[in-house]
Amino acid sequence: MSNAGVIFRREFAAYFNSPIAYIFIIVFLVLNCGLFMTPFFLAQLADMRDFFGNLPLFLIFFIPAVTMRLWAEDKRSGTFELLMTLPMKSSEVMLGKYFAAMAFYVVALLGTLPIPIMLAMLGKPDLGAVFGGYLGALLLGGLYMAVGIFTSGLLRDQISAFILGMLACFALFLVGVPAVSATIDGWVGGFGSFLQNAFGLMPHYQALQRGVLELGDLAYFLGLTAVFLVLNAVWLEGRKY
Amino acid sequence: MIEVRDVTKRFGTTVALDGVSFRLDKGEILGFLGPNGAGKSTAMKIVTTFLAPDGGTVSVDGIDVLRNPLEVRSRIGYLPENHPLYVDMMVHEYLQFVGRARGLAGDELRRRLEWVVEACGLGSVFRKPINELSKGFRQRTGLAQALIHDPEVLILDEPTSGLDPLQIIGIRELIQGLARSKTIIFSTHILQEVSPVTDRVVIINGGRIVADGRIGELERAAMGRNRIFVAYRAPAAAAEAALRDLGGLHEVRPVAGRDGAARFEVRADFGQDVLAPLGRLGQSHGWDLLELQESPFSLEDTFIALTRQGAVPREVSHV
Ligand SMILES: Nc1ncnc2c1ncn2[C@@H]1O[C@H](COP(=O)(O)OP(=O)(O)OP(=O)(O)O)[C@@H](O)[C@H]1O
Ligand SMILES: [Mg+2]
Repeated sequence: MSNAGVIFRREFAAYFNSPIAYIFIIVFLVLNCGLFMTPFFLAQLADMRDFFGNLPLFLIFFIPAVTMRLWAEDKRSGTFELLMTLPMKSSEVMLGKYFAAMAFYVVALLGTLPIPIMLAMLGKPDLGAVFGGYLGALLLGGLYMAVGIFTSGLLRDQISAFILGMLACFALFLVGVPAVSATIDGWVGGFGSFLQNAFGLMPHYQALQRGVLELGDLAYFLGLTAVFLVLNAVWLEGRKY
Repeated sequence: MIEVRDVTKRFGTTVALDGVSFRLDKGEILGFLGPNGAGKSTAMKIVTTFLAPDGGTVSVDGIDVLRNPLEVRSRIGYLPENHPLYVDMMVHEYLQFVGRARGLAGDELRRRLEWVVEACGLGSVFRKPINELSKGFRQRTGLAQALIHDPEVLILDEPTSGLDPLQIIGIRELIQGLARSKTIIFSTHILQEVSPVTDRVVIINGGRIVADGRIGELERAAMGRNRIFVAYRAPAAAAEAALRDLGGLHEVRPVAGRDGAARFEVRADFGQDVLAPLGRLGQSHGWDLLELQESPFSLEDTFIALTRQGAVPREVSHV
């Protein structure tokens, strides 16, 4: 098994070693499906627009709750020293942890699959939009997850890591909201638009949600995710000095 | 095997290590001593590549810790001072995890697991969750983790802290058993633990090495002179005056003794025979000799003398 694979295996199992994992997944499913079902029955629309539309806000709470333990827990117990003296690169340890958290999120997402299956049986949903929506959910989650693992490293305490992660994700969300960027433009001319274009995630996410697959949107999510992972790796190396 | 040269390490304004140097040959065991906050753990973290030194060089088996940390790590088994345990795992899961992370697999992993479980006495808790273990078993699980890949070098930060006397003996015997094949550094606060395991010690205080050598040499070097206890059945003042007249004694100090006994602690140069003159002194005055013994300084006395801030000038140290 690869080095990152060994870490992945342990971290993924760790999620399910505690009842919190199951609570997280149940909360994820109940809230998302509940939020989705209400308009679904009221408006009789055979699509998942509302479900995916809710995600950027909902994941701001959910993802940092998943990532908060990733480094903070190791730093609080003595295991951080164990991990950082294993004969593997710190970036391998980080990737193992990152993908374990992603796998946990994917398990939660898989739990929502009955929705599109039901839709397909009841009506004719736009499958392109459903596929685009899931891809967007994955990329969005991946970005928040990278932000979350980075902020988890900065702090020793899980709750602080959760709050910091939430604030960072919220900032990424906010700068992409037109009303916010317009306000910032009002303070410093053009700066709000710049932030929105460079970092704002909503335009990219909404494009995917419509089922439009463009390189620019993929590059945004993957690129910004990579930036936070690299920041995390730099922090891991820098901490020695 | 381990070479630490002129290492400095600062945390903000705290100087944790200030020009630390020592070396250790293959197969040697080193007792690493020092009061709280002396810099023991910091030095060990640098040898294990967890921290980088601010200045100076460290190499393990000729490999520089900054240039090739992964090679260094693969040669080292490390027990950090805080238990490096995942309490949500069972003992066997945890040891398997560390084994795999250290590149073991299949039959080899199974053999090594069996070995460490036997060596560390973990048989009875092998399938228990770590958060249900007592402190002693946690410590042993940590030790097992450090041994799983059969490393050439062991760095053990207070391996016996918090253990009961029987468990301390168990760990000591384990270290003794490993001694033949491995190079070991262990830190401790309990000085009596050192001499049964090794006679090579390094004492560190305030981030500086204040002594490095064999226990016996250090005891003499640190205190400068031999210490003798003598007691006569005699009037205290007369005995003290007679001792001061005797010559060859550097210091005469009355100390508490049995009723009717005048008891003194005296100092003399090493190699100088003072026992015979002290015996004759009693005879010539008609005093019964109640006690006469050389009482070499213990590691404890040495430790206290060397680590009491400013008590001992640096020249005295054996560096
Ligand atoms: N991460 C850190 N940040 C700031 N200061 C630190 C850090 N680690 C150690 N120090 C300081 O460095 C000095 C040496 O600490 P170290 O842990 O190496 O001592 P020690 O000899 O292991 O002590 P003990 O016997 O109590 O374990 C202390 O003054 C300590 O406060
Ligand atoms: Mg220490």
